[in-house]
This record gives sequence, structure tokens and C-alpha cells, in this order.
Amino acid sequence: MEQVLTYLGYILIVIGAIFLFLGGLGIVRLPDIYSRLQAGTKASTLGAMSLILGVGFLNPAWLVKSLVIVIFIALSNPISSHALARGSYRHNIKPWSKEDIDAYRQYLKEEGQKEREEEAKQTENKD
Amino acid sequence: MKKLISIVFLLYVAYQLFVVFYAVPFGTDEVRSKVGRFYLEHSPKDLHVANTVTSIVVNFRGFDTLGEVTVLFLASTALGSILFRRREVHTRLSHLRTSVEASSIVRVAGRILFPLIVLLGAYVFIHGHLTPGGGFQGGVIIATGFLFLLLAYRQFTVEHRTIMWIESLAGITFAGIGLVGIFVGKTFLENFLGVGRLNDLISGGIIPLIYIAVGFKVAAELTGILDTILSISITVDETENQTEKNG
Repeated sequence: MEQVLTYLGYILIVIGAIFLFLGGLGIVRLPDIYSRLQAGTKASTLGAMSLILGVGFLNPAWLVKSLVIVIFIALSNPISSHALARGSYRHNIKPWSKEDIDAYRQYLKEEGQKEREEEAKQTENKD
Repeated sequence: MKKLISIVFLLYVAYQLFVVFYAVPFGTDEVRSKVGRFYLEHSPKDLHVANTVTSIVVNFRGFDTLGEVTVLFLASTALGSILFRRREVHTRLSHLRTSVEASSIVRVAGRILFPLIVLLGAYVFIHGHLTPGGGFQGGVIIATGFLFLLLAYRQFTVEHRTIMWIESLAGITFAGIGLVGIFVGKTFLENFLGVGRLNDLISGGIIPLIYIAVGFKVAAELTGILDTILSISITVDETENQTEKNG
């Protein structure tokens, strides 16, 4: 049983190291902030989670602690990347793309229209 | 060419670092420093403190730490006195932090993560004498929790009167613990409590008490600074908008 846990821990650590490396490579190689955030968050979240979980498997006394850290990373890392991406979009940083596909702009337009309609309704009610 | 030069330079730096650290065999006490050895020997033996850094900062050099806390207090007071006047002119507008509200993801996450962040900060400063960390680090962690709330909720403001009270009480506690040392018959900020057992939560004499005070003080000061800075950036935006409308 302990042997299995040890091997599982080493496999997880290797997977984590590979993904962390890919995340670092992506931050250097990708063209704009959005794709870099994707590399920096997706790859490094999985990398860090599996690395820490692997350490927990290698040393079962730390397993609970490492699980808590894994949950915290799963909660906080995607949120920070979401906030960064949203903030940079709101500050008019254009996404890099060859085709002009921008689903978020479409969504914002629809939202803005809804808000304007609601405001119009409210002012009508007030009158 | 530029790349080649930078790669060669980095390799040279790496080589020099390797040479320096290769001279010190891994895990041995090769750096001959009498002061360092004194601390390492006496911190667990006499004071029963597992974290040597903490025992140096609070016990061997407690007066220096009091000075550091004073410097932080002066910095936050100076920042507040510079930025606060512009704030009062537009108090009515100061609750409008940004033009766009943070997304619902961030707001929900703020509600879930804030207690956890404060808990982590409290853990770090209560366990300052046992594990790496201490009052300053724990206080900064708690302040980041408040920063999260300030960024996530536009309506959230910090009560500066409360912050002032917490800050002053924590400072008085720190200096008061030092003065009690004099009254008991020892020197200023010298340990006067029993040291307990090594690695117990209640051990290390006055170190946990001082670090709890420092944690509260640092958290309150940094939260106040963050709130002041964030409200300033808004009032400036708001006045710009107003002039645009008027013009």
C-alpha cells in the first residue's frame, strides 16, 4: 500500500513539474495577455495542485494540509486570472486573433441593451 | 547579438553563484559566525522558542522591532495626512470606488475567501514563535483580505475611527509589555513570563503577546493605507467626470 502511495506521489510530482514548465513556456511564448493568462493559470493551477498532492502522498502526515492547500489554489487561482482578464478587457486591451471573433464584446452589448431597457422602464414607471 | 551577450552574462553569473555556494558544503555549519551560533544555541535552550528568527526579532532585538513598528506607524500617518484632505472635499463621492462593479464571480469569492484569509493571517501571527512567519507577515495577510473586499464590493468602506483605535491599542500593548518588564525588575522589553515547553502553543514568554499586538497593528495600518489610496483614485476620477459634464 505504501509502495503504491509512493509511486503515485512521484507520478503526480512529475506531472506537476511538466505542467508548471509548460505554463512558464507559455508565458514566454504566447502573443497577448489573455493567452498568457491562460497558460499561467490553467497550466500552473494543475501543476501546483498535482505537485502539492504528490508531496502529500509521499508523506501521508501532510496529506490533510496539502489537500487544504489544493482546495485553496483551486478556489483562488482561477478567480484572480478571471479578474485580471476582465480588467484588461475593460481597459481596452485588444485580444490577439487573426479572425475577428469576440464573444465577450457581443455579450457586453446585449447586457448593455438590457440595462438600458430596464432603465427606460424604470423612468417610465416613475413618470 | 544582444541575446548572445545576455546569455553569456547569465551563464557567468550562474557560474559565480555556483562557485560561491560550492565552497559551502550542503547542510554543514561552514559559515563561521559567533553571533549566529549564539542565537541558534540560546534560542531553543534558554527561551524555548522554535523559530529562531522570531526570538531574535522580539526578544534579542525587541527595542529595534519597536522602532520598526514606529516607522510603519509614521509612514501610514504621513500617507494619510497627505491624501486625507483631498478625500474630505469629496466625501459624498468617496463610496464610488470604480465605474464598473466587479463581476459576480469575484464578489462571491470575496465572501467565501475573506474569512479564510483572516484565519490564515491570525494563524501566522499566533504561531509566530513556532513556525515561520510572525506579526508583520500575519498582519499583511489580513490586510490582503481587506483589499480583496475593497476591490470586490464598491460599497465596502473601512471605518477609520475603528482602525485608529485598534492601531493605538496595539501600540500601547506593545510598549506596555515592555514597561511591565521594568516594573518587574528587568530591562525594557525583556522576557518576564515563564518560557514554557519548546514547541508548545503557550510558550516563549512575551513573544506571542507582542506578536499578536504587532499583527493587529500592521493589519489595521495597511488596511487604512489601502482604503485611503483606493478612495483617492476615485475622487480624482469623479472630479474629472464632473468637469466634463459641466464643460
